[in-house]
Amino acid sequence: MSTGLLLNATICFAITISSFAFAWVLSQSDSQHNKKSRPALWSLITLWLLVGFTYLPTTIRMIAAYIGNQQLDLAMYYMASLPFSFVSVPLVFFILYVIVGDQKISSYISLLFVFFGAAYLILLYSSGVIGPTTTPLTSMFTINSDIAINIYLIGLFVIPTAMIIGLLFLIFLQRMPKRLRYRTALPLVAISFVFDFILTDMITLDDTMQLAARIFVLIGTVQAFLAYFPPMTLQEKLGIKEYEYTLYENDEEADYDEGNAEENDINV
Amino acid sequence: MSEDIDVKLEQKVAEFYQSLGIHQGPGDIQYRLILKVLGKNEGRITEFSEIREYTDMFADKGSIGSKMKTIFQLEGLAEKVKRGGYIITDKGMTAFHFLKDTTAFYKKNKRMGEIIERMP
Repeated sequence: MSTGLLLNATICFAITISSFAFAWVLSQSDSQHNKKSRPALWSLITLWLLVGFTYLPTTIRMIAAYIGNQQLDLAMYYMASLPFSFVSVPLVFFILYVIVGDQKISSYISLLFVFFGAAYLILLYSSGVIGPTTTPLTSMFTINSDIAINIYLIGLFVIPTAMIIGLLFLIFLQRMPKRLRYRTALPLVAISFVFDFILTDMITLDDTMQLAARIFVLIGTVQAFLAYFPPMTLQEKLGIKEYEYTLYENDEEADYDEGNAEENDINV
Repeated sequence: MSEDIDVKLEQKVAEFYQSLGIHQGPGDIQYRLILKVLGKNEGRITEFSEIREYTDMFADKGSIGSKMKTIFQLEGLAEKVKRGGYIITDKGMTAFHFLKDTTAFYKKNKRMGEIIERMP
Protein backbone atom coordinates (compact mmCIF):
# COMPACT_ATOMS: atom_id res chain seq x y z
CA MET A 1 0.00 0.00 0.00
CA SER A 2 1.73 3.08 -1.25
CA THR A 3 0.60 6.62 -1.83
CA GLY A 4 2.41 6.42 -5.18
CA LEU A 5 -0.32 4.04 -6.36
CA LEU A 6 -2.98 6.51 -5.27
CA LEU A 7 -1.19 9.29 -7.14
CA ASN A 8 -1.12 7.02 -10.19
CA ALA A 9 -4.84 6.30 -9.80
CA THR A 10 -5.54 10.04 -9.55
CA ILE A 11 -3.60 10.76 -12.75
CA CYS A 12 -5.46 7.96 -14.56
CA PHE A 13 -8.77 9.33 -13.29
CA ALA A 14 -7.84 12.84 -14.44
CA ILE A 15 -7.05 11.47 -17.92
CA THR A 16 -10.39 9.61 -17.96
CA ILE A 17 -12.41 12.65 -16.92
CA SER A 18 -10.65 15.07 -19.25
CA SER A 19 -10.90 12.67 -22.23
CA PHE A 20 -14.62 12.13 -21.69
CA ALA A 21 -15.17 15.85 -21.13
CA PHE A 22 -13.27 16.68 -24.30
CA ALA A 23 -15.24 14.09 -26.30
CA TRP A 24 -18.48 15.54 -24.92
CA VAL A 25 -17.49 19.13 -25.73
CA LEU A 26 -16.53 18.08 -29.26
CA SER A 27 -19.83 16.28 -29.74
CA GLN A 28 -21.67 19.42 -28.65
CA SER A 29 -20.01 21.36 -31.46
CA ASP A 30 -21.43 18.98 -34.08
CA SER A 31 -23.94 21.52 -35.38
CA GLN A 32 -21.14 24.02 -36.06
CA HIS A 33 -19.47 21.64 -38.49
CA ASN A 34 -20.29 21.08 -42.13
CA LYS A 35 -20.66 17.68 -43.75
CA LYS A 36 -17.02 17.73 -44.83
CA SER A 37 -15.57 18.05 -41.34
CA ARG A 38 -18.19 15.95 -39.55
CA PRO A 39 -16.61 12.50 -40.26
CA ALA A 40 -13.26 13.76 -38.92
CA LEU A 41 -15.02 15.24 -35.89
CA TRP A 42 -16.70 11.95 -35.00
CA SER A 43 -13.51 9.98 -35.44
CA LEU A 44 -11.86 12.42 -33.05
CA ILE A 45 -14.71 11.97 -30.55
CA THR A 46 -14.32 8.18 -30.83
CA LEU A 47 -10.58 8.50 -30.27
CA TRP A 48 -11.03 10.49 -27.05
CA LEU A 49 -13.75 8.12 -25.87
CA LEU A 50 -11.41 5.17 -26.38
CA VAL A 51 -8.68 6.99 -24.44
CA GLY A 52 -11.19 7.57 -21.64
CA PHE A 53 -12.34 3.95 -21.72
CA THR A 54 -8.71 2.78 -21.57
CA TYR A 55 -7.94 4.83 -18.48
CA LEU A 56 -11.17 4.16 -16.59
CA PRO A 57 -10.32 0.47 -15.92
CA THR A 58 -6.68 1.53 -15.40
CA THR A 59 -7.84 3.82 -12.57
CA ILE A 60 -9.67 0.89 -10.96
CA ARG A 61 -6.55 -1.25 -11.57
CA MET A 62 -4.40 1.14 -9.59
CA ILE A 63 -6.93 1.21 -6.75
CA ALA A 64 -7.04 -2.62 -6.87
CA ALA A 65 -3.25 -2.70 -6.63
CA TYR A 66 -3.43 -0.28 -3.70
CA ILE A 67 -5.84 -2.52 -1.81
CA GLY A 68 -3.95 -5.62 -2.93
CA ASN A 69 -6.68 -7.21 -5.05
CA GLN A 70 -4.69 -8.95 -7.81
CA GLN A 71 -7.68 -10.60 -9.50
CA LEU A 72 -9.42 -7.27 -10.01
CA ASP A 73 -6.11 -5.82 -11.20
CA LEU A 74 -5.81 -8.53 -13.88
CA ALA A 75 -9.46 -8.27 -14.92
CA MET A 76 -9.13 -4.51 -15.32
CA TYR A 77 -5.92 -4.91 -17.33
CA TYR A 78 -7.74 -7.15 -19.81
CA MET A 79 -10.65 -4.73 -19.89
CA ALA A 80 -8.38 -1.75 -20.58
CA SER A 81 -6.66 -3.68 -23.39
CA LEU A 82 -9.93 -3.81 -25.33
CA PRO A 83 -10.40 -0.05 -26.05
CA PHE A 84 -6.64 0.40 -26.20
CA SER A 85 -6.27 -2.07 -29.09
CA PHE A 86 -8.60 -0.01 -31.24
CA VAL A 87 -7.28 3.47 -30.43
CA SER A 88 -5.38 3.54 -33.72
CA VAL A 89 -8.56 2.88 -35.78
CA PRO A 90 -10.23 6.33 -35.39
CA LEU A 91 -6.81 7.95 -35.48
CA VAL A 92 -5.94 6.42 -38.85
CA PHE A 93 -9.40 7.27 -40.18
CA PHE A 94 -9.03 10.86 -38.96
CA ILE A 95 -5.64 11.43 -40.60
CA LEU A 96 -6.50 9.70 -43.86
CA TYR A 97 -9.84 11.45 -44.14
CA VAL A 98 -8.27 14.86 -43.51
CA ILE A 99 -5.55 14.27 -46.12
CA VAL A 100 -7.39 12.28 -48.79
CA GLY A 101 -10.95 13.44 -48.20
CA ASP A 102 -12.46 10.10 -49.23
CA GLN A 103 -14.59 8.51 -46.54
CA LYS A 104 -14.61 5.07 -48.21
CA ILE A 105 -10.84 4.78 -48.65
CA SER A 106 -10.27 6.01 -45.10
CA SER A 107 -12.80 3.47 -43.76
CA TYR A 108 -11.22 0.54 -45.63
CA ILE A 109 -7.71 1.39 -44.48
CA SER A 110 -8.79 1.95 -40.89
CA LEU A 111 -10.56 -1.43 -41.08
CA LEU A 112 -7.11 -2.92 -41.54
CA PHE A 113 -6.21 -1.51 -38.15
CA VAL A 114 -9.30 -3.19 -36.66
CA PHE A 115 -7.68 -6.47 -37.76
CA PHE A 116 -4.36 -5.39 -36.25
CA GLY A 117 -6.11 -4.59 -32.97
CA ALA A 118 -8.10 -7.83 -33.02
CA ALA A 119 -4.94 -9.87 -33.74
CA TYR A 120 -3.20 -8.16 -30.83
CA LEU A 121 -6.14 -8.90 -28.53
CA ILE A 122 -6.40 -12.57 -29.58
CA LEU A 123 -2.66 -13.08 -28.98
CA LEU A 124 -2.82 -11.20 -25.70
CA TYR A 125 -5.79 -13.18 -24.38
CA SER A 126 -4.51 -16.54 -25.64
CA SER A 127 -0.91 -16.14 -24.42
CA GLY A 128 -1.84 -14.40 -21.22
CA VAL A 129 0.21 -11.97 -19.20
CA ILE A 130 2.79 -12.28 -16.46
CA GLY A 131 2.08 -10.37 -13.31
CA PRO A 132 1.02 -8.19 -11.71
CA THR A 133 4.27 -6.75 -10.44
CA THR A 134 3.29 -4.19 -7.86
CA THR A 135 5.80 -1.44 -7.11
CA PRO A 136 5.37 1.64 -4.89
CA LEU A 137 4.34 3.63 -7.98
CA THR A 138 2.36 1.28 -10.15
CA SER A 139 1.23 -2.22 -11.01
CA MET A 140 2.56 -3.75 -14.21
CA PHE A 141 1.97 -6.75 -16.44
CA THR A 142 4.32 -8.30 -18.98
CA ILE A 143 2.76 -9.45 -22.23
CA ASN A 144 3.61 -13.14 -22.71
CA SER A 145 3.74 -13.03 -26.52
CA ASP A 146 6.48 -11.58 -28.73
CA ILE A 147 4.21 -11.56 -31.78
CA ALA A 148 1.61 -9.50 -29.88
CA ILE A 149 4.31 -6.97 -28.98
CA ASN A 150 5.46 -6.80 -32.60
CA ILE A 151 1.92 -6.25 -33.89
CA TYR A 152 1.47 -3.69 -31.19
CA LEU A 153 4.64 -1.82 -32.09
CA ILE A 154 4.35 -1.90 -35.88
CA GLY A 155 0.62 -1.96 -36.50
CA LEU A 156 -0.62 0.14 -33.65
CA PHE A 157 2.32 2.45 -33.07
CA VAL A 158 4.71 3.03 -35.99
CA ILE A 159 2.23 3.47 -38.86
CA PRO A 160 -0.22 5.87 -37.15
CA THR A 161 2.66 7.89 -35.66
CA ALA A 162 4.26 8.18 -39.11
CA MET A 163 0.90 9.36 -40.46
CA ILE A 164 0.64 12.10 -37.81
CA ILE A 165 4.20 13.26 -38.51
CA GLY A 166 3.44 13.29 -42.25
CA LEU A 167 0.35 15.45 -41.76
CA LEU A 168 2.25 17.76 -39.42
CA PHE A 169 4.99 18.24 -42.04
CA LEU A 170 2.37 18.93 -44.67
CA ILE A 171 0.96 21.70 -42.47
CA PHE A 172 4.31 23.15 -41.46
CA LEU A 173 5.52 23.32 -45.05
CA GLN A 174 2.56 25.44 -46.10
CA ARG A 175 2.37 29.17 -45.73
CA MET A 176 -0.86 29.88 -43.92
CA PRO A 177 -2.24 32.34 -41.37
CA LYS A 178 -0.83 31.86 -37.87
CA ARG A 179 -4.27 31.21 -36.42
CA LEU A 180 -4.97 28.38 -38.87
CA ARG A 181 -1.54 26.89 -38.32
CA TYR A 182 -2.15 26.82 -34.56
CA ARG A 183 -5.66 25.45 -35.03
CA THR A 184 -4.50 22.58 -37.25
CA ALA A 185 -1.07 21.73 -35.84
CA LEU A 186 -1.76 21.77 -32.10
CA PRO A 187 -4.55 19.15 -32.11
CA LEU A 188 -2.22 16.87 -34.06
CA VAL A 189 0.65 17.45 -31.64
CA ALA A 190 -1.76 16.75 -28.75
CA ILE A 191 -3.07 13.55 -30.35
CA SER A 192 0.46 12.42 -31.08
CA PHE A 193 1.46 13.15 -27.48
CA VAL A 194 -1.46 11.18 -26.06
CA PHE A 195 -1.15 8.33 -28.52
CA ASP A 196 2.60 7.82 -28.16
CA PHE A 197 2.57 7.98 -24.39
CA ILE A 198 -0.38 5.59 -24.08
CA LEU A 199 1.70 3.08 -25.98
CA THR A 200 4.75 3.78 -23.82
CA ASP A 201 2.53 3.34 -20.79
CA MET A 202 1.32 -0.06 -21.99
CA ILE A 203 4.64 -1.51 -23.03
CA THR A 204 7.12 -0.20 -20.45
CA LEU A 205 8.54 -2.37 -17.70
CA ASP A 206 9.79 0.57 -15.67
CA ASP A 207 7.38 1.95 -13.07
CA THR A 208 8.76 5.52 -13.10
CA MET A 209 8.54 5.63 -16.89
CA GLN A 210 4.95 4.42 -16.75
CA LEU A 211 3.99 7.14 -14.31
CA ALA A 212 5.82 9.75 -16.40
CA ALA A 213 4.04 8.48 -19.54
CA ARG A 214 0.68 8.88 -17.80
CA ILE A 215 1.55 12.45 -16.78
CA PHE A 216 2.38 13.16 -20.44
CA VAL A 217 -0.93 11.63 -21.56
CA LEU A 218 -2.64 14.06 -19.20
CA ILE A 219 -0.57 16.95 -20.58
CA GLY A 220 -1.56 15.84 -24.09
CA THR A 221 -5.26 15.93 -23.16
CA VAL A 222 -4.86 19.45 -21.75
CA GLN A 223 -3.00 20.40 -24.92
CA ALA A 224 -5.94 19.16 -27.00
CA PHE A 225 -8.26 21.37 -24.95
CA LEU A 226 -5.95 24.34 -25.53
CA ALA A 227 -5.92 23.60 -29.24
CA TYR A 228 -9.68 23.93 -29.50
CA PHE A 229 -10.30 26.46 -26.76
CA PRO A 230 -7.19 28.61 -26.43
CA PRO A 231 -7.38 31.01 -23.47
CA MET A 232 -7.29 34.72 -24.28
CA THR A 233 -3.80 35.27 -22.83
CA LEU A 234 -2.39 32.48 -24.99
CA GLN A 235 -4.12 33.90 -28.05
CA GLU A 236 -2.60 37.32 -27.37
CA LYS A 237 0.87 35.89 -26.74
CA LEU A 238 0.89 33.79 -29.89
CA GLY A 239 -0.69 36.55 -31.95
CA ILE A 240 -3.59 34.34 -32.99
CA LYS A 241 -6.37 36.40 -31.46
CA GLU A 242 -9.13 37.10 -33.90
CA TYR A 243 -9.62 40.85 -34.12
CA GLU A 244 -13.20 41.73 -33.32
CA TYR A 245 -14.49 44.49 -35.54
CA THR A 246 -17.63 46.07 -36.91
CA LEU A 247 -17.80 47.28 -40.46
CA TYR A 248 -17.38 51.02 -41.00
CA GLU A 249 -20.67 52.16 -42.46
CA ASN A 250 -19.91 55.69 -43.60
CA ASP A 251 -17.78 54.49 -46.48
CA GLU A 252 -18.21 57.56 -48.66
CA GLU A 253 -15.88 59.66 -46.51
CA ALA A 254 -12.40 59.95 -47.97
CA ASP A 255 -9.46 58.48 -46.03
CA TYR A 256 -6.73 60.89 -44.96
CA ASP A 257 -3.27 60.73 -43.53
CA GLU A 258 -3.31 61.90 -39.92
CA GLY A 259 0.21 63.31 -40.24
CA ASN A 260 -0.75 65.67 -43.03
CA ALA A 261 -2.24 68.79 -41.44
CA GLU A 262 -3.34 70.34 -44.71
CA GLU A 263 -5.32 67.30 -45.75
CA ASN A 264 -6.79 67.10 -42.25
CA ASP A 265 -8.12 70.60 -42.68
CA ILE A 266 -9.62 69.76 -46.01
CA ASN A 267 -11.23 66.53 -44.90
CA VAL A 268 -12.40 67.72 -41.49
CA MET B 1 7.20 20.13 -75.96
CA SER B 2 3.56 19.23 -76.39
CA GLU B 3 1.49 19.42 -73.27
CA ASP B 4 -2.25 19.79 -73.34
CA ILE B 5 -3.82 22.99 -72.15
CA ASP B 6 -6.61 22.47 -69.66
CA VAL B 7 -8.81 25.47 -70.36
CA LYS B 8 -11.15 24.80 -67.44
CA LEU B 9 -8.25 24.58 -65.01
CA GLU B 10 -6.75 27.78 -66.41
CA GLN B 11 -10.08 29.51 -65.93
CA LYS B 12 -10.29 28.35 -62.33
CA VAL B 13 -6.73 29.48 -61.66
CA ALA B 14 -7.44 32.88 -63.20
CA GLU B 15 -10.60 33.23 -61.09
CA PHE B 16 -8.60 32.33 -57.98
CA TYR B 17 -6.07 35.11 -58.66
CA GLN B 18 -8.87 37.54 -59.47
CA SER B 19 -10.38 36.73 -56.08
CA LEU B 20 -7.06 37.85 -54.58
CA GLY B 21 -7.34 41.17 -56.39
CA ILE B 22 -4.89 40.18 -59.16
CA HIS B 23 -6.79 40.89 -62.32
CA GLN B 24 -3.89 41.05 -64.71
CA GLY B 25 -1.15 38.56 -65.53
CA PRO B 26 -1.96 35.33 -63.67
CA GLY B 27 -5.50 36.56 -63.03
CA ASP B 28 -6.19 37.24 -66.71
CA ILE B 29 -7.49 34.17 -68.56
CA GLN B 30 -6.54 35.63 -71.97
CA TYR B 31 -2.96 36.25 -70.84
CA ARG B 32 -2.75 32.75 -69.38
CA LEU B 33 -4.04 31.00 -72.49
CA ILE B 34 -1.93 33.01 -74.94
CA LEU B 35 1.21 32.40 -72.89
CA LYS B 36 0.38 28.71 -72.51
CA VAL B 37 0.01 28.26 -76.28
CA LEU B 38 3.19 30.24 -76.98
CA GLY B 39 5.11 28.29 -74.33
CA LYS B 40 3.83 24.99 -75.64
CA ASN B 41 5.30 25.88 -79.04
CA GLU B 42 8.72 26.90 -77.76
CA GLY B 43 11.17 27.10 -80.66
CA ARG B 44 8.34 26.96 -83.21
CA ILE B 45 6.04 29.49 -84.77
CA THR B 46 2.64 29.78 -83.11
CA GLU B 47 -0.18 30.57 -85.48
CA PHE B 48 -2.71 33.14 -84.34
CA SER B 49 -5.45 30.65 -85.23
CA GLU B 50 -3.97 28.18 -82.75
CA ILE B 51 -4.19 30.76 -79.97
CA ARG B 52 -7.78 31.48 -80.94
CA GLU B 53 -8.70 27.79 -80.61
CA TYR B 54 -8.37 28.29 -76.86
CA THR B 55 -9.34 31.93 -76.44
CA ASP B 56 -12.47 32.10 -78.60
CA MET B 57 -14.76 31.14 -75.74
CA PHE B 58 -13.45 34.03 -73.64
CA ALA B 59 -12.63 36.86 -76.01
CA ASP B 60 -13.07 38.00 -79.59
CA LYS B 61 -10.34 38.07 -82.20
CA GLY B 62 -9.83 41.83 -81.77
CA SER B 63 -9.08 41.77 -78.06
CA ILE B 64 -6.65 38.85 -78.43
CA GLY B 65 -4.86 40.68 -81.25
CA SER B 66 -4.71 43.79 -79.10
CA LYS B 67 -3.33 41.81 -76.15
CA MET B 68 -0.66 40.30 -78.39
CA LYS B 69 0.40 43.77 -79.44
CA THR B 70 0.08 45.74 -76.19
CA ILE B 71 1.42 43.14 -73.80
CA PHE B 72 3.28 40.31 -75.50
CA GLN B 73 5.04 42.24 -78.26
CA LEU B 74 5.45 45.47 -76.31
CA GLU B 75 7.05 43.74 -73.32
CA GLY B 76 9.14 41.48 -75.53
CA LEU B 77 7.50 38.23 -74.49
CA ALA B 78 6.83 37.25 -78.10
CA GLU B 79 8.03 38.40 -81.52
CA LYS B 80 5.89 38.60 -84.61
CA VAL B 81 7.76 36.66 -87.28
CA LYS B 82 5.14 36.64 -90.05
CA ARG B 83 1.54 37.62 -90.61
CA GLY B 84 -0.39 35.81 -87.89
CA GLY B 85 2.75 34.03 -86.65
CA TYR B 86 4.51 34.55 -83.30
CA ILE B 87 7.47 33.03 -81.56
CA ILE B 88 8.08 33.11 -77.83
CA THR B 89 11.25 34.84 -76.57
CA ASP B 90 13.47 33.84 -73.62
CA LYS B 91 11.73 36.49 -71.53
CA GLY B 92 8.43 35.01 -72.63
CA MET B 93 9.62 31.59 -71.44
CA THR B 94 10.40 33.14 -68.05
CA ALA B 95 6.81 34.39 -67.92
CA PHE B 96 5.62 30.94 -69.02
CA HIS B 97 7.51 29.25 -66.18
CA PHE B 98 6.15 31.80 -63.74
CA LEU B 99 2.67 30.95 -64.98
CA LYS B 100 3.35 27.29 -64.23
CA ASP B 101 4.33 28.29 -60.70
CA THR B 102 1.07 30.19 -60.29
CA THR B 103 -0.85 27.02 -61.25
CA ALA B 104 1.19 25.00 -58.74
CA PHE B 105 0.51 27.62 -56.05
CA TYR B 106 -3.21 27.48 -56.84
CA LYS B 107 -3.23 23.67 -56.58
CA LYS B 108 -1.27 23.70 -53.33
CA ASN B 109 -3.49 26.36 -51.86
CA LYS B 110 -6.65 24.55 -52.92
CA ARG B 111 -5.42 21.23 -51.48
CA MET B 112 -4.48 22.86 -48.19
CA GLY B 113 -7.81 24.72 -48.07
CA GLU B 114 -9.63 21.41 -48.46
CA ILE B 115 -7.53 19.80 -45.71
CA ILE B 116 -8.30 22.68 -43.35
CA GLU B 117 -11.98 22.47 -44.27
CA ARG B 118 -12.02 18.81 -43.25
CA MET B 119 -10.24 19.46 -39.94
CA PRO B 120 -12.83 19.65 -37.16
